[in-house]
Parts: sequence; C-alpha cells; structure tokens
Amino acid sequence: MTEPALASEAGAPFYLPTGDEVELFRAAYAGRLPMLLKGPTGCGKTRFVEYMAWEVAKEAAASRPPLVTITCHDDLTSADLVGRHLLSADGTTWSDGPLTTAVRQGSICYLDEVVEARKDTTVVLHALTDHRRILPIERLGTTLAAHPDFLLVVSYNPGYQASTKDLKPSTRQRFVAIEFGYPPPEAEARIIAHESGVRVDVAESLAYLGSRLRRLDEIDVVEGPSTRLLVYAGELVRQGVSPRRACDVALVQATGDDEDVQAAVRGVVEAVFDS
Amino acid sequence: MTGLRGLERSLPLFYRAICGRGCVVVPYDDDAHDRQHPDTATTVRLPSRVDSPTDRWYQVAMAHRAMHTELGTFALRLDGELPEPFFRRLRPLPDDGSQASHLEQFFGHLSRPALALEVFVALEDLRVDAAARRLLPGLRAAYDAARAQALATRPELAGRPPRSGVGEVLVRISLGAEAVTVAGSLVPVVARLAALAAPLGTPEATVESTAEATVRAFGLLARLPNVGEAEGPAREVDLVAVDSGLLEHEDDRLGSTEVRLEGDELFDVRLAPVRYRDTPGPRYLGQSASGMPMREAILRLTPAEPGSGGEAIQQQAQDAESGHVDVSDPSRPAPPPEPLPHDHGPDLGSHHHAAQGVLHAQHRGEFVYPEWDHRADRYLSHWCLVREQHPRPGRGDRLHRETLTRYRHLLPLLTAQLERVAPAGVRRLRRMPYGDDLDFDACLEAMVDLRTGAAPSEAVHAASVRDRRDVAVAFALDLSSSTAERLPVAAGEPARRILDLELEAVSLLMEALERVGDAYGIYGFSGTGREDVRVQVVKEIDEARGIRVLHRLDGLKPHHTTRMGPVVRHLTHRLKQHEAPTKLLVVLSDGRPFDLDYGQQYGEDRVLDYAVADTARSLDEARADGVNPYLLTVDPAGDDYLRRMCGTDWYRVIDDARDLPAALARLYVAARAGSGRAAATAAPGRSSRRTPGRSGAAAAARPA
Repeated sequence: MTEPALASEAGAPFYLPTGDEVELFRAAYAGRLPMLLKGPTGCGKTRFVEYMAWEVAKEAAASRPPLVTITCHDDLTSADLVGRHLLSADGTTWSDGPLTTAVRQGSICYLDEVVEARKDTTVVLHALTDHRRILPIERLGTTLAAHPDFLLVVSYNPGYQASTKDLKPSTRQRFVAIEFGYPPPEAEARIIAHESGVRVDVAESLAYLGSRLRRLDEIDVVEGPSTRLLVYAGELVRQGVSPRRACDVALVQATGDDEDVQAAVRGVVEAVFDS
Repeated sequence: MTGLRGLERSLPLFYRAICGRGCVVVPYDDDAHDRQHPDTATTVRLPSRVDSPTDRWYQVAMAHRAMHTELGTFALRLDGELPEPFFRRLRPLPDDGSQASHLEQFFGHLSRPALALEVFVALEDLRVDAAARRLLPGLRAAYDAARAQALATRPELAGRPPRSGVGEVLVRISLGAEAVTVAGSLVPVVARLAALAAPLGTPEATVESTAEATVRAFGLLARLPNVGEAEGPAREVDLVAVDSGLLEHEDDRLGSTEVRLEGDELFDVRLAPVRYRDTPGPRYLGQSASGMPMREAILRLTPAEPGSGGEAIQQQAQDAESGHVDVSDPSRPAPPPEPLPHDHGPDLGSHHHAAQGVLHAQHRGEFVYPEWDHRADRYLSHWCLVREQHPRPGRGDRLHRETLTRYRHLLPLLTAQLERVAPAGVRRLRRMPYGDDLDFDACLEAMVDLRTGAAPSEAVHAASVRDRRDVAVAFALDLSSSTAERLPVAAGEPARRILDLELEAVSLLMEALERVGDAYGIYGFSGTGREDVRVQVVKEIDEARGIRVLHRLDGLKPHHTTRMGPVVRHLTHRLKQHEAPTKLLVVLSDGRPFDLDYGQQYGEDRVLDYAVADTARSLDEARADGVNPYLLTVDPAGDDYLRRMCGTDWYRVIDDARDLPAALARLYVAARAGSGRAAATAAPGRSSRRTPGRSGAAAAARPA
C-alpha cells in the first residue's frame, strides 16, 4: 500500500506469482481439472486461490460469489459439506452445505487442509472430481450435476509433522498438484512490504531473516517461519514496535520452548536487526 | 571476559541459519599458538574464553566463519564464468584429475603457495567481513568492536622486513585500518595494495575477485625482499582515500620480478592471525597429501621447537619450499593433534565414508536402518543391519512364576492404576444406540425423520469408548554383556544379575498388561557391530502370551554390546505397523549406548557423543512417527548422557537395580497416561526411592 507499483485493482486480493502457478491454474481451470495445492503452512496457498477466483470471476463477469472456502477438521461430516434437513415451524427445510452451494452456482470450492477431514468424508468428492462431475445428495435422493464453472481445489500440507494423516491414494489420484514453497527473498520482501505496509528495507531484512531461519527447518530443529508470520512481524514494526521485539514475539516465540534454539534464533534476529 | 560455556548448542544453530550447514563447536583452552586451532569442514574451534570488548564476540566469530561458506570462499572455480578480466586471462586450467580443490590448485600455481595463502586469506577476510557487516547490520557494532580490538593488538610494523611488513599492512587493511606508517620506499606498494583491496568491500565482489586481487597483491609482495629493512623516512599512507587509477597500467606478471635473496626462505611470511577469524587450515588446503601446500602448512602450523637448531629448520623450510619432504624423517615436526582423522580434506564433507560400504538385508528377518553421524551432520544410509531372532527357549516358566510370587503385592495396585488412567486414545463415537451424551446432529435427523414420516433411528447418542487395545508398547531389554554383572546380595538371597531383574520387571508388567488388555511386545537387543545388531523376539506385539513366550523370556542371554539407535528404529518400525493410537517404546538399559564401531572412526573420546547423538536422533524419529520412547536405566551415571539424549521427562535413572520391577511399572503407568509431561508428575524421578544401605548417607539425609 505504500508502493503505488504494487497497488492492485480495487478489490483484487494481492498475490505475487513466484513461478508458473498462475498459468497452470488458468490451464487447469480451462479444462475444469480439480487441483491440489501442496505446500507448507502460511506460504500463500489460500491467498493464491482467492486471487485466482477473483481473476476468473472478473473474466466471467458473473454475479455469483467466486469462491467458497471450507476449512476442514476431523469432525467434518459429509452432511457439513453437502447439506442437511433443518427443523422449521411447520416441518423441515433442506439447507445446502457449502459444497452443494458451490456446485450449484458454479463457484470455485476450496477445501483447506483437506487431510484433516475424515477419510469417509472426502469420499463424497470423488464423483465431482472425475468426468461425471456430479454430487449425489443421498438425503434428497437426487444427484446434482455440477455447474459448468464449478471447480474443486483442495490444499494439503505434506510436512505436517504431528499428523500421521495422509491423503488416500484414491483421492490423491484425482487432482493435478501444484507445489508451493516459500517465495524467494526478493519476492517475499515485496509481499511483506505490501501486506504489512512496513518500509521496504525492513521488509527486505525480514525476508532475509526468514530465509535464514528456514535453514534450521532442514534439520527439524524448528519450523521455519511462514510468510504469514513475517508479515505479522512487519505489521508490528509498522505499528511502532522495534524490529527486534517484533521478531521476538512473532518469530522467536513461535520456534518452541527449547532455550538453546531460542537463543540461536534470537541471535540471528539480533544480527539482522540493530534495534 | 566472555565465555563459550552455555553457547555450544546455540552457536551451531546460529551458524546453520546463516550459511545452511552444520558444525560442531570445539572449545580450546590452550592458547599457546593460535595456528594450532584451524577450523575444518565440520568443526569450528573457538577459545573457551576471550577478553573482549563485546559480549557478542562469539557470534561475530561464528558469523565470520559462516559467511566464508555462505559467500563461497571454498567454492572457488578456476573454470567458471569469471567477471574478473585479469584473473580470466591468467587463471590456470583446473586439473580435474587432481583431488585438490580448485582453491588449493590456485595456491599451487603461484610460486610461493604459503605466501599466496596468506595474501588470499587476508583479502578474503576483508571481503567476508564487509559482507557480514553489510548483511547483518544488527551485529555491526559488535563486529566493529571485535575488529577494533584486533587492530589495536596487531604486532609492531617497525623492524619487519619489507615483505612481511607489507603483509602485515594487508591484514590491517582487512581490519579497516584508516592509515598506516611505513618506510618511504614502501609507500607506493602500500597505496597500490589499498587500491586493489578496496573493491573487495563492495557487494559485487566474489571469491574470484579475491583471487584476482590475490594474484596482483602476491605480485607486489613477491617483489619485495624478505630480509633487511625498507629504506626511506617513515611516512603515513592513507588507506581510505585510495586511488584506483594506480591499478590501470599494472603489468603484473606472475612472479616475473620476484626477489629471492640469500636467507629469504628462512623467514617465511607468517602473519599473526586475527583472533575472531578462522586460521587457515584444512578448509583452504585440503587433504591431497601430494600437494606441496599441505606439507608447507604442516611446517608452518607447527611452532618451532625451541633449541632444535636453526639449521634443521632452515633445511626443512627449504625442502618444503622446493617440494621435498622426507616423511620418514623423525626430526620432521609432527603435525598438530588436530584436525581429526575424519575432517581434514577439501570442504566437501561427503566422501570420507565412501570406503565403507552400505549393507543390505539378505534374508527374512533382516532389516537395514540408517545411522545419524552427528560429526558429519548427515545420515549414513543403509548402515546398520538388524537381525530378528527367537531366543533359544529356556528352562520353562519358572522365572515367571517366581516373579509373580515375589512381586505379588505390587500387582493389584498396578492393575488398578492402569485401569484407572484412561489412555490417550479415547474414541468419541457418534450415532450410538446408547452413550453418555446426545449426538445433536443425530437427534435433529431423528426429529426430521419423525416429521417427514420416516422411521427415526434410535442411535442418537454420543459415547466415549476406550478400546481395550488402544495402547501398543514394545519393551526393549538391554542384553549387553554387562547385564551379566551380579548384584550385591543380602544374606540368604540367591545372587542375581541385572538381566534377571530386567526379566522380572517385564514379567511382572506382562501380567498386569494381560489383565488390562494393552498390546505389548518384548524384545531383547545386543550386537557385535553395525552389521550384526540382534533383536531377540520374545513376544511380538500381537502375539498371544503362551507358554512359548515364557520359555523364550527365560532363554535370554547376555551378549556383547548396546547399539541403541538401530534398535529404537526397528521397534519404531514394528510399532508403526500397529493401529493402536497410543504407541510406546520402553527401553531398559544398564549403561550407555556402545558398540564396537559406533563412533570410533572419530577417535575414542568421541564415542559417547556419537552414540548419544545417534540414539537421540532415533528417539526424535520415533516421536515424529507417533511412538513415545521412554528410557529406564540402572546406570548411576545415566543422567549425564540421558539428559543429552532426550528430555528429562522421557527417562528415569534408578539408583538400585533391585528397584527395577517397581520402577518399570511406575514408568509405564505414567507413560501410558499420555505425554512425557504426565510422566514427570506421575512417576517422580530418581530421588523418590532409594534403598537404604546402598547409598547410606544420601538415603539417611532424605526422608523415606
């Protein structure tokens, strides 16, 4: 927001492509191929989908909401996705779930962290992700054919340690996968500057710091900081917090409670920022 | 004074963050000769204490070293696309058949490799310092303080021969000296030196720029005599306002006008090292024994024996200079105690194990696992062969029956504890016909069904169910030969071995586990080297406890060594195949991990570190795979290494081996209750129970 060059069209989510993901998405969207976005947490997967949904909707000039996002968790049932009957004063009414809504109106449906959902839940996606493009709604006894513009996008964080969950091969085989990583430092600096509104030199230092700390990730000492955390640190700096203190609360504390690791991370922070 | 103590773990992480590579910090106290402590590819040597104006001195020292790696000091290529015009023209072709790195080859191509090395190191340090101060602004103040201190403590210039005097000026330039006073005849040389060093401080400078500057500076220095004193009245030269025009008509040609005077060789240029920087060592010179630089380095790195006779040294120096060193000559100075066998060599770090092969599983019941080499900071793949065997059945189930008789009093309490503690894997089931709560979704659907006229389901409850088999545990019993040790006995008791107590401990627990229904496996481990790690299967996790299991338990025999890493990896692998949500691995041992080839390649004094690091790594892997590993040891010294191996929540040390059965039961109850933190509170540590009589005074001082 400080740099006019980065200002996007009104309402468009800010996204800075770091590879060919925009072209790939467009190509996949043209063929309505279901997509799987793989990558570490906070690297921009969700933002990317928001951006692409906005772009696609702009071109289609349709009035429908461009994107339906569902955050998955292990209590998510297929009724939560497809819909359920609700009680009303004089009987019952059927209420579409978010997936059904997206299928009807032709939005992009984005299932965030799809592995978190139970495996029997994700099975309802199967008929939507092959040539049939249909959604069977068991409770209504009907089958809904997907709107021609409907597209299913799921995200997945393969490095998620605590989870022994993985995608079922029969689910995985239905998606084209785009891999995401953290952006290179120059791009990340621009993202931080744009998102947090912090000065460019601070953003550059934050991006440099982030790329250093991610090296500790390689030996599983700490989870490297995500772009999102770096943006948070930038936000704090913009609000007047000193960079060292901002990094302390946003980055150092996020690395866990091991004192030596914290000391090392703080050492790197204090080497990069002088106040 | 600033000390290294307490920083040994965080400094390597700091280093890794900056340059992306691992290292081990090795402190030294002996400061007699700075050059005795060069870094290697995997080791950073730092003084254990420094008298420094900044408390961040150690970070400065680490940042300098890390930047060497980050900025490619050791990755000089003679055949790359070079931006430097001069060096591009002059550079020799790389000899790809040679084992020497291009950096080492580069020194070899200059007529005095030792001098070339000094010049290169000073110029490269200048480039590295400039980059470190630019890239790490937060460290700049500390960096400048360390540099100022180093500059203030440089040796005197006066009285030095011209060549080493100018060399000293070069080091001062690299430390940011603003001016220097030299004899009049040296003024033009020093001005040129300052001019050619200046571009190395810019962000564009690469290691090739340093190589280019080295060739030029070497030309300047080699032309100066290394004996006598420079002439002319002393004058001050400004090192900051340099005239880059001085370099324009340079006609440097390698060694064209080199001066060699009588006695020159006796006084090689040896520049006093800068304390916070690494001293030139194997990272620069590599291992290739045939190359002259290494030999010369050995000579240079070794302080002359006082009174060993100037002639001999002179001869050696001349020999070194001309490339002849008689390696069998007993008077030849011994190389310094460091570097270690593993880590000299070019800065590659990846080939030193090439000679030893990988292992393959050939038969059923054989498994191959990697090993973590913390010195090299990498896994050795296919390193350990684990062989599963069934122990030869023993005398019968007498052991088990005797154990039950002896510990009968513990059993009811143990079973009750296990039954009371709900294991972590409670499942919440929805849409159950009965349960302790209503399932709201199901109720709603039932209501909807009622109104729409369909028959509603009765399954509208939510229930918490504890599966009988939601815990799977593997017990690993140390069968190393030391478990045959007999314990001191009270009068009238039969002599018992540590192994007997281990067997009693699992025998007792086995009975409790059968009653509460946890799935458990019992394994013994021993070995005679990495290709022979034996896991004795007493009971597989899903195997029913029959009479054969009891016979096998009785048949376990002590046998050689304790290589813990592969055993942890193997049992983790076994547990992973089990569907129970809570998986535990309990290791009973009587001493530190040790095997015949478990770190010995790095010297006997590194064995413990190596074994501890590998075991710690395997425990981390287990946790990452969802297996919670706990260690129980009867080794009184266990605290020392177990603390490094895993957090204090994950192990217990027992003072008296006779406590083992009760301690194992306590540990298991706590471990099963869930996390390691729960283990800490539920099973108080070693101080909780001491048997009087064995550690008399300590026990008496403590309330029972």
